[in-house]
Amino acid sequence: MNRFALPNLGVGLGLRTVHYSHILEHAPKVDWFEILSENYMQTRGRPLYFLDQIAERYPVALHGVSMSIGSTDPLDFAYLSELKALRDRTRAHWVSDHLCWTGAAGKNTHDLLPLPYTEEALRHCIARVRQVQDFLGAPLALENPSTYAGFVASTMTEWEFLSALAEGADCALLLDVNNVYVSAYNHGFDAQQYLANVPYDRVVQLHVSGHTNHGTHIVDTHIGPVIDPVWELLGEAYRRSAASVLLEWDAEIPSFEETHGDALRARDFIGAEGPE
Amino acid sequence: MTDRLPLPMDGAASRITPFGERASATPSHVRHRVAEPAAESAPSRARTPASLSELQLWVLSSITEGEPSSTEVDRVLTPGPRLSARDRFEVYRAGYDARLLECLRDDYPVTAETLGEEDFAALCHAYVRAYPSRSPNLNLFGGHLTKFLLERSEIPGLGPISPFFRDLTALEWALVEVLHAETPAPFDLATLQAVPIDAWACARFLPSEAVRVRAFEYPVNAYYQACRTGDRPASLPSPGTSKTAVYRRGLKLWRMDLTPAMARVLEALLSRETLGEALGRIETDASDPEALAEAERSVMVWFREWVNAGFFGGVVLE
Repeated sequence: MNRFALPNLGVGLGLRTVHYSHILEHAPKVDWFEILSENYMQTRGRPLYFLDQIAERYPVALHGVSMSIGSTDPLDFAYLSELKALRDRTRAHWVSDHLCWTGAAGKNTHDLLPLPYTEEALRHCIARVRQVQDFLGAPLALENPSTYAGFVASTMTEWEFLSALAEGADCALLLDVNNVYVSAYNHGFDAQQYLANVPYDRVVQLHVSGHTNHGTHIVDTHIGPVIDPVWELLGEAYRRSAASVLLEWDAEIPSFEETHGDALRARDFIGAEGPE
Repeated sequence: MTDRLPLPMDGAASRITPFGERASATPSHVRHRVAEPAAESAPSRARTPASLSELQLWVLSSITEGEPSSTEVDRVLTPGPRLSARDRFEVYRAGYDARLLECLRDDYPVTAETLGEEDFAALCHAYVRAYPSRSPNLNLFGGHLTKFLLERSEIPGLGPISPFFRDLTALEWALVEVLHAETPAPFDLATLQAVPIDAWACARFLPSEAVRVRAFEYPVNAYYQACRTGDRPASLPSPGTSKTAVYRRGLKLWRMDLTPAMARVLEALLSRETLGEALGRIETDASDPEALAEAERSVMVWFREWVNAGFFGGVVLE
């Protein structure tokens, strides 16, 4: 159990629009769904119609891509207000986003851009995570990103930065083992060394997904199925965290049954039948 | 007279549903090119970024504006085990356009289909430079495309572009707007039936948020429908004014062609004019006596259709 007493929801699936009808029509047995927060913000229409029904029937958690926690722009409190309202509306168990920045000077790239792992960036992120948590009144879970570039200015590894941030801000972590695999390949570090240095008492959720290997580098496309080395990383991370597991599949998405079937492969590696 | 065409949400037609994912993944169709080795002669911007803020501005401008030189990149970014720093950075540079292009393709599927992959990408590239996203959310990112087309007759990398696309993008954006508009409350027909006859002229109707009336210079709805059914005309239509109501009833998006008289009355009602004032617009504007007589005969039929279509959420009597 993590230090935040957030529950292990079991093996879940990222909610995707192509599966709405199947879910509402067949009410499949799924432990939980992860909601892409921004898909249900700045809208009052059809997306919320589906979300309300699904959140009524299943446990959910919110997963965002636009908090831009590492940006040097001011925090966007209008965004945070809407996020908080969405969390309350869906009774989401927690809110997560990424250790990254998405834009600056008012411009948004909508990409998860890497941070330099420096003391300055660490202090900056700690202060902002604390602000966000104060505003939300709950711990924020930050996810380690997939990265394709590193900075000359960095003075520490990603796992050192992530651990120091989690400790300094007293926040939760969403450990994406596919991202560990992708970044290890792209930067030439050892994924096992990364996993060995994660503060697991702060890990409230684990992500798995597929990716696209171009030979020279791997891109985090979330095209499944998940490869065995990533499943093995999941098994290892789960043994240390017993956290909720979730499959992300974002392009070339197959049928609900196939997608869910891949998610359930997690049980082969974590040895669990469902939530505690 | 009317053309009500639901946009299915599932199945084969889902590709034209303006409702794509906005996920954390990097788009799969990013074209990762190996950077050209030259560029050493490219003008170098300033010194190595000294602070987090400077570094972020450097990364941002290098992604969204000009391509940095290899020397510049090497000062800021590290090489990887298999790629140079510049090639690694190219993943982000290529991903920027690809991600926003994907979003615009979701919102403007028929525009994309009509222009073709290459020209649509050129349009999006120019649009992204003119109207970069300034919001944490992509749902409304494409909302300036019609304005962008109105502002220029030529697009860099694409050349002259037909004014037809102003109309086509306006229609497609109206669909996005009603998709995200608040779900209309069902009209209380009992309330409507209880309105005394002599109070009708003073009745105002509460408009649904999920209705848009758009005026076009081209018969764009007919073109859109032809594309929807896989029967895209070989050439763009000739100019010809038209008006279309775009609306959502329940979960489905619909389009309804309007005659000029219908459009005048409907727009007046949606602007919360009284029914009497709205009908007065026919009397004021119609110059053709036959059209006027036809409109008067038809007006109750229209009104019933509009109520059934969910254009109004209630009635207020004064």
